[in-house]
Amino acid sequence: MGIMNLHIKNGIVIDTKNGIKAEKMDIFVKGGKIVQESEIEGDVKVIDASNKLVVAGGVDMHAHIAGSKINSGRTMRPEEMRIVRQTAGKLRTSMGRVLLTSPAIGYEYAKMGYTTSFEAASPPIGSLHTHEELDSIPVIDKAMLPVFGNWHLVFKYTAEKDTEKMKALIAWAIERTKGFGVKVVNPGGVEKWMYGGNVTSLDDPVEYFNVTPREIITELVKATEGLNLPHSVHLHCNRLGVPGNYETTIETMKLVSGFKNDERQVLHVTHVQFNSYSGSSWRDVGSGADEIAKFVNKADNITIDMGQPVFGHATAMTGDAPFQFNLHKLLGAKWINKDVELETGAGIIPLVYLPKNPVHAVQWAIGLELGLLTDSDKVVISTDFPNGGPYTKYPYIMAMLMSAKMREKEIANASPYIQKATNLPSIDAEKTLEETIHMTRALPARILGLQTKGHLGVGGDADIAIYDLNPLEVDPSTEYEVVEKALSTPIYTIKGGEIVVKDGELVQEVWGRTYWIDAMSQVSTEVIEEDLDDYFTHYYTIQRYNYGVEEAWLRAPEKIVVG
Amino acid sequence: MMVLKPKTDFAVTVEAEITPELATMSVEEASKFKVYHGREQVSLGELFEITKEGDDKKLVLEGDFSRVKWIGARMEDGEIIVKGSIGAHCGAYMKGGRIEIEGDADDWLGAEMSGGEIVVKGNARNLVGCAYYGDMKGMSGGRILIEGNAGNYIGEKMAGGEIEIKGDAGDFIGTEMTNGVIIIHRSCGFAGGDMKGGEIRIGGEFDLLPSFKKGDEGYVGDINVGGKGVIRQI
Amino acid sequence: MENVVCTFCGSVCDDVQFDTQQYKGKKFCALGMSKFSAKERIKSPMIDGKAVSYEEAIDAAVDILVNSKKPLLYGWASTVNEAIRVGVILTEKLGGIYDQCSSVCHGPGVLSTIEEGLPGGTLGQVKNRADVVVFWGSNPMEAHPRHPTRYSVTAKGFFVKDRKERKVIVVDVRKTKSARLADEFIQIKPGYDYAIFSALRMLVKGEEIEAEEVGGVSVSKLAELAETMKNAKYGAILYGLGITQSRGRDRNIENAVKLIQLLNRYTRWIIWPMRGHYNVVGAGEVPAWEVGYQYAIDFSRGYPRFSPAEFAVSEALLRRDCDAALIVASDPVAHLPKKAVEHLKSIPVIQIDPFPNMTTLISKVVIPAAITGIEAEGTAYRMDGIPLRVKKVVDSEYWSDEKILHEMLKRVEVRMGFS
Repeated sequence: MGIMNLHIKNGIVIDTKNGIKAEKMDIFVKGGKIVQESEIEGDVKVIDASNKLVVAGGVDMHAHIAGSKINSGRTMRPEEMRIVRQTAGKLRTSMGRVLLTSPAIGYEYAKMGYTTSFEAASPPIGSLHTHEELDSIPVIDKAMLPVFGNWHLVFKYTAEKDTEKMKALIAWAIERTKGFGVKVVNPGGVEKWMYGGNVTSLDDPVEYFNVTPREIITELVKATEGLNLPHSVHLHCNRLGVPGNYETTIETMKLVSGFKNDERQVLHVTHVQFNSYSGSSWRDVGSGADEIAKFVNKADNITIDMGQPVFGHATAMTGDAPFQFNLHKLLGAKWINKDVELETGAGIIPLVYLPKNPVHAVQWAIGLELGLLTDSDKVVISTDFPNGGPYTKYPYIMAMLMSAKMREKEIANASPYIQKATNLPSIDAEKTLEETIHMTRALPARILGLQTKGHLGVGGDADIAIYDLNPLEVDPSTEYEVVEKALSTPIYTIKGGEIVVKDGELVQEVWGRTYWIDAMSQVSTEVIEEDLDDYFTHYYTIQRYNYGVEEAWLRAPEKIVVG
Repeated sequence: MMVLKPKTDFAVTVEAEITPELATMSVEEASKFKVYHGREQVSLGELFEITKEGDDKKLVLEGDFSRVKWIGARMEDGEIIVKGSIGAHCGAYMKGGRIEIEGDADDWLGAEMSGGEIVVKGNARNLVGCAYYGDMKGMSGGRILIEGNAGNYIGEKMAGGEIEIKGDAGDFIGTEMTNGVIIIHRSCGFAGGDMKGGEIRIGGEFDLLPSFKKGDEGYVGDINVGGKGVIRQI
Repeated sequence: MENVVCTFCGSVCDDVQFDTQQYKGKKFCALGMSKFSAKERIKSPMIDGKAVSYEEAIDAAVDILVNSKKPLLYGWASTVNEAIRVGVILTEKLGGIYDQCSSVCHGPGVLSTIEEGLPGGTLGQVKNRADVVVFWGSNPMEAHPRHPTRYSVTAKGFFVKDRKERKVIVVDVRKTKSARLADEFIQIKPGYDYAIFSALRMLVKGEEIEAEEVGGVSVSKLAELAETMKNAKYGAILYGLGITQSRGRDRNIENAVKLIQLLNRYTRWIIWPMRGHYNVVGAGEVPAWEVGYQYAIDFSRGYPRFSPAEFAVSEALLRRDCDAALIVASDPVAHLPKKAVEHLKSIPVIQIDPFPNMTTLISKVVIPAAITGIEAEGTAYRMDGIPLRVKKVVDSEYWSDEKILHEMLKRVEVRMGFS
């Protein structure tokens, strides 16, 4: 089909970044970008969007879509790979129940009106593998976040309190991995797992390295802010999945009270549902969502994403290896662990969220509480795919946030334990359509620092979703079924100005970009040369020369230069 | 009763998920039933001669069906008589009815079956009554009788029903089984690894695992999983 | 040229040096050097033994593939991910069978991962932390000669600083060369690995064993081993074909994994396979992300299905379940059972390989390829999954595997109406 000029006519546009609240207007596309009408000349394809919702393509800021974790999960779980979504022909065969093959990942995002997704955790030494998989995901734009929180060199510079060296390491590592930002997973805890332990508080020392989670987080935030990266530190907190952990989460968020950034948050705390438990054991577990939401609402420098579980199959996969071992013991399930030299670890476990299981129901309720109680400008919709379940259920989550009635119906099917352990049944707040559009478009784009995503203003990428929903007429509070269905099956998904989905079906395969951040001009890597050489000569098992990823090896890299 | 005969030696194996239900159709209808011959989807009538005698729910397979897979998969009732040998996955997920094989059976015979009966006059290969990769439960009901010998991996993750082998069986009998009975009249290799429940009866020799303890009724285990399975000599 | 990446075994040593003028290397082991030394090449593309152009050979190959009912596309362990990816897509479009060398070596490890998972780690973890290393049915001295010095025996690491701080145990059915490296060698009766793993699980848990010996080893000796394992700070079992290709196969590994699961309740242990070909890991990882499975994949229904009992190379050939074959960087004629080779000889075979081998002799179409790691670049995964970019160090007239396969795919898509 090729790139053509588009005129999307008479749609009802919601574009929160540009202050457009369900207004009838036209959108013009040229060369893959949103343009002024005056810039359009020659042939134009007109799309009649009368009475339809027109929004930017969705942005998933936290999902596990590429790399050794999801791929090991596929290998371990053939039972996940049997669902045939599409047979081979002009397009690729597309497979998977919740875990998906790479073609299926791109196709399913597009079929939901999403056009960007970030792989949320990549072991730095494995980044070439992560990029190979990202390059095999069609349609969407993507990027990946390398993990830093248990890297020996990070411990070293934390202990030395040397921000210049930490900045140099971050810039160097992001350049080498062609990564996008600083992901931190259970800082200190994964290193302790290498000898069977974990951290129990922010002040647990990590043996040998003489650092604590508190110090690691603080030093990484300091360095990331010093570099002024587009995205802040993206943190998976300590004590994930432990009853009573909400207090640790709040204490963690307090660590950044002294930091300020005019453009964005200074800390993004991810899949917070898993870190919002009160109680002292699984027997008396409850919700700490209220406290977390209050704290986030008050703070002016923190954002979160939900990590919403969806009832049904899921696969837990995370760099938080000690947590995964506990889950293995708890469930008796098969278990992949991958310790990665000097840098990180990972674990993978199959699981099912059952509505009648009290713990699962509480987890489900907490996710929704976070979504409802947190300011819509601070909480992003996510399932932490595939940890909380499929991202294809985002429309369900959006509908749930917009309708107390729908929640009431769903709560009736869940374990009654949530009545006493959470506040969900008594929350009657309802997000508006505009708010849920914000939470899936402009907000994640702003949190990531993506200027051209999540909005329909001139200069934005022509990533557009058109849904069979008239925001001026629909009442999401009562018509939740209509809303969920419409948001699940866009009439059009347009990626980079090309129509990829029509009436919910994929019509062509296009290939997106991989964003990466170059902050090398901000630092002098000379200060870490000696340490890098020492580590590569003595402790890594590959040569420094062979560490990392070159732009030329990627399908469509797009460098964003900082500074 | 409906009789099927291959028209030729097939270029590659054929996948034909036919059950006795087919015998209730007219020859014309049955001819249109879709089967796979490599990547080509063809009608049953292209590959097989089909004749019909009477209306009973019975299929008779004459000639060489050793490269025809998935015969009787998911069948619920009726009868299939295989005059010669049969290909892989015969009777997989079977719920009821009866399959009789006069020759040999290939791998995955009666995999995950929950009811009905399979009788093999000759030998069966590996993975009889097992669970498919990634599934938690193998055969959960019904009966498989093999008059000859059987291969390795018999009744893994078995949760019910009975497998009886008149001859020898190979290695790894009843691994991780939770219920049901496996009877081997002659010898086999390792039996009962990580079994939680159920019973394995063995007539000849076998390799006893160190994780079983001798009790009044036989060997009880597997202790590694706190199992209460029994291996009994007959 | 420094920091060349060796493309022989799964150790994928990335510190070797190669002089392209002299065709001489440094730091290579004997196996690696043999790969990098000048050898007889397939001179030109051929059809029925007659020299033709690349285009003619590829057209003939595509003819064979699109006219078959179910082609088998096999090999892949000795080429790069970029070529493998095209190969997977080609198989998908053709409705054929994709299988790779794992099905005759470490495939059972995939099956045990399906059953119980894989508690593992990278080789650097072994080097930096492992104070107990057990080679079980693996023989690095002969199969991975630099593995012991680079990663697992004499390697000096961050926490475990030298050989003295590491206990090395070899468990095998015969006293291998590697047994000489070990502090302890435990000889077991062939075919009894499974029973020994069951015994070790009992002993680690403190259960009593009624027998006096298991698999040719006294229970007291096994109790010592269990104690050593429990007392390790960070242990590793590195297993080889001795347990994947002997009685029990996947069941042996599954039982070993269960032992590791148990040991992690007391201390830290990992287990990892000693993979053979330099990119046999990629040959499984690439199809896993593209279509969901690592090997033995059939696409005849237009979507992938995994079934080693049917679609592993030997099984597909023994059952005559393929009517054409494309063999990439492998020599099935030399390595497969006689009955399987018989069927291969009866169907049209296309070969892509830099070097002539037994399979060349039975191939209708032969397409010579550049040697990856010397004449062509690309990505390979070391045995522990660490990705490395193998390099092009000399120019060549030969086409790369990736280019040959890509040209085939383009033509297949046209012929099958997919483009």
